[in-house]
Amino acid sequence: MQHLSKISAVTLLFVMFLVTSCGDEEPMDVLTDNFDRSAMLEFWADDIMIPSITHYVEELGGLANSQEHFANNPSIESLNLLRSQWLTAYNAWQEVSLFDIGKAEEVGLRNYTNIYPTNVDLIESNIATQAYNLMLPSNYAAQGFPAMDYLLFGLRSDDAELVQQLSSQQYAQYLSDIIQNLVMLSEEVLDDWTGGYREIFVANNGSSATSSVDKLVNDFLFYYERFFRAGKVGIPAGIFSGSENGLAVEAPYASIYSKMLFTTALDAIERFYDGIGYGANTTNGPSLYDYIFHIVESNNTAPIHDTIKDQWSVVREQLDVVSTSFKNQVETDNIQMLKLYDELQKVVVIMKVDMMQALNIKIDYVDADGD
Amino acid sequence: MHLRITPIVLLLLLALTSCEDNDMMSVIDTPTTYAFEREGESTVSFSGQTTRIAMATELVNGMLDFDATTESLLEMYANQTASGEDANPYADSDLNASTKSVKSKVAASNDFFSANTAEAAVIKAEIASWIEAQVTEVYPNRNQFADVGVAGQIADGSEARYVNAKGLEYNQAVAKSLIGALMVDQICNNYLSPLVLDAGENISNNDNNIVEEGTVYTTMEHKWDEAYGYLFGASTDVSDPLATLGEDSFLNKYLSRVDEDGDFTGIAEDIFNAFKLGRAAIVAGDYTVRDEQATILKEKLATVIASRTVYYLKQGKLALANNDFGGGFHNLSEGFGFLYSLRFLRQPGSDLPYFTRNDVDGFINQMSAGNGFWDITAETLDTISEQIAAKFDFTLAQAGE
Repeated sequence: MQHLSKISAVTLLFVMFLVTSCGDEEPMDVLTDNFDRSAMLEFWADDIMIPSITHYVEELGGLANSQEHFANNPSIESLNLLRSQWLTAYNAWQEVSLFDIGKAEEVGLRNYTNIYPTNVDLIESNIATQAYNLMLPSNYAAQGFPAMDYLLFGLRSDDAELVQQLSSQQYAQYLSDIIQNLVMLSEEVLDDWTGGYREIFVANNGSSATSSVDKLVNDFLFYYERFFRAGKVGIPAGIFSGSENGLAVEAPYASIYSKMLFTTALDAIERFYDGIGYGANTTNGPSLYDYIFHIVESNNTAPIHDTIKDQWSVVREQLDVVSTSFKNQVETDNIQMLKLYDELQKVVVIMKVDMMQALNIKIDYVDADGD
Repeated sequence: MHLRITPIVLLLLLALTSCEDNDMMSVIDTPTTYAFEREGESTVSFSGQTTRIAMATELVNGMLDFDATTESLLEMYANQTASGEDANPYADSDLNASTKSVKSKVAASNDFFSANTAEAAVIKAEIASWIEAQVTEVYPNRNQFADVGVAGQIADGSEARYVNAKGLEYNQAVAKSLIGALMVDQICNNYLSPLVLDAGENISNNDNNIVEEGTVYTTMEHKWDEAYGYLFGASTDVSDPLATLGEDSFLNKYLSRVDEDGDFTGIAEDIFNAFKLGRAAIVAGDYTVRDEQATILKEKLATVIASRTVYYLKQGKLALANNDFGGGFHNLSEGFGFLYSLRFLRQPGSDLPYFTRNDVDGFINQMSAGNGFWDITAETLDTISEQIAAKFDFTLAQAGE
């Protein structure tokens, strides 16, 4: 009897082990969800996205005016006004970039606006030949804010010389063309929102892969991972290549602004997540935070809605240690940039796995092959 | 007391038995690195393979250099002029000084093509025709948008891809076809073949440590190294290449990609181990163990190519379903080249290929029919993928994601 019972104990342990292993393989139950998606979509459209894009279009209008003023009255003073308006518009873009949905996605707004590092050789060859089609994919890296960063800050180290060169016919024409391209594309996106897309977006309130919530959350995550984490920090810090590259930061020629642009983007990310209205409109509305909290509360699961927010606080603590110029930071003490990347990456893990599982949203993009 | 330990004893016995089984399998130890010496000198040599990988790299990159000409690109392919004279088409002067070429080793294995030169000539010419078409069809349209039936550029994310009128990137077709037609064909159907390894006096020379004149290696050792070189010839540390896997644009890179896919983890190590053990077996004069390793290599390398083919067809299908034509075409262009490479995969323990020329022509024709990638259907891509996966022990899901 004793013999048998010992074997039984071992067998039982073994069986328990098997059962436990199998249990891990089974998919998680879909958590209870009766959150009001429609109200959240309305808030996103009316209080965050449309105001952000409206503001961006206004600032691009201001940029076009500053450029015209500079071209007609070239001076260091008008150059500095132009630079200042470039920075304002670039910051406004940081509040739009994360919403790559609808017409923005269709026209590829981000590709024409903020592909960097910019291709200086291509810019110069376009200017020299005067033959370029800015709509072609091969010209993505020769336009947008990064090309303006080069033209406004990197063309010459001496401001007086820069004024002279940039106000010459061919350079002025190119600068005007790339600004007008942004004006045209952003107006197309805004017109689409106000011309019927807002209603389509809000009405698509289901929970399928093509629903507005599923798509926008995917776009948000993709933006966070690819353009925010990797683009602004990871690639310059050499995470993927193994060697840091100061020229790969956002706005390397006006690099004292790279941290500001990053911070504006982080603010926009957090406001979207928290459901805070755009600009002076600080109304609170239904948000991803509320949505996750709703699921966490009704299913009594881990409070990841707060874990994500807490981790962004850690990101900001590390951001305090980093220079206003990411280029300078990468070139003098890259370890601090790597630490910033690590803190950003921790949020990716929570969002990509825990958040998406809680919200029952399937990731609709794959990590690119890279060739 | 006795009763208490019985189950543990049983378990221990089981564990010991397993270990003994493993030990019985190989009397030759698998070396930790691919480093072999005779009288203090390295016997490992495969500079010709490193050279051809470098030539193929310049050729494939050159196809996207819009200043290149049909002439300059075909010279990179053949390392000679159209009239057969010496050419210097490469940026790397060492390559210009070399007399080796990519083209001469395309579809040139002993086992598959020595008595099948007509088909070899067709394959060589087909790859040349894609190189030529890049210049005549795609270059003139490089500054316009591609469209149905119109060559040009198309956006894939933030990249510009350059496609022909059917959506095919010729540079991808050439690069991925060379993985089969050059690398895999030379490794599996030439250098790992007993007909090559054991040719002439190779066995007795190897048994008696008779080295090739002016070298420290036997011919058999060298043949095995040449197989190794087509996979690891561009690695930073050729004796320990897994640490930096993915260093060329050809077989090495895609072994890395497949190894990173969770369903095939460890395949790179399996392949590296088989190369090391097979080479050690040659040193030990054990040709049974050598051929066992060759069989493993043929099977694993075929799995790399076949699973990547299915992967790219699946990724292409998914992108097209999202109306991402640029991304879809890029994946299908890679898939097209990998499909072409299927012709060179050899069934383990057999002289037969997994797919005949007719099979592969059938796949390629389905990919190219009508407007090509512009109107290819998910059903067509699924059917091709199923036919490929059916010959291997991976599922569509394992390879495709």
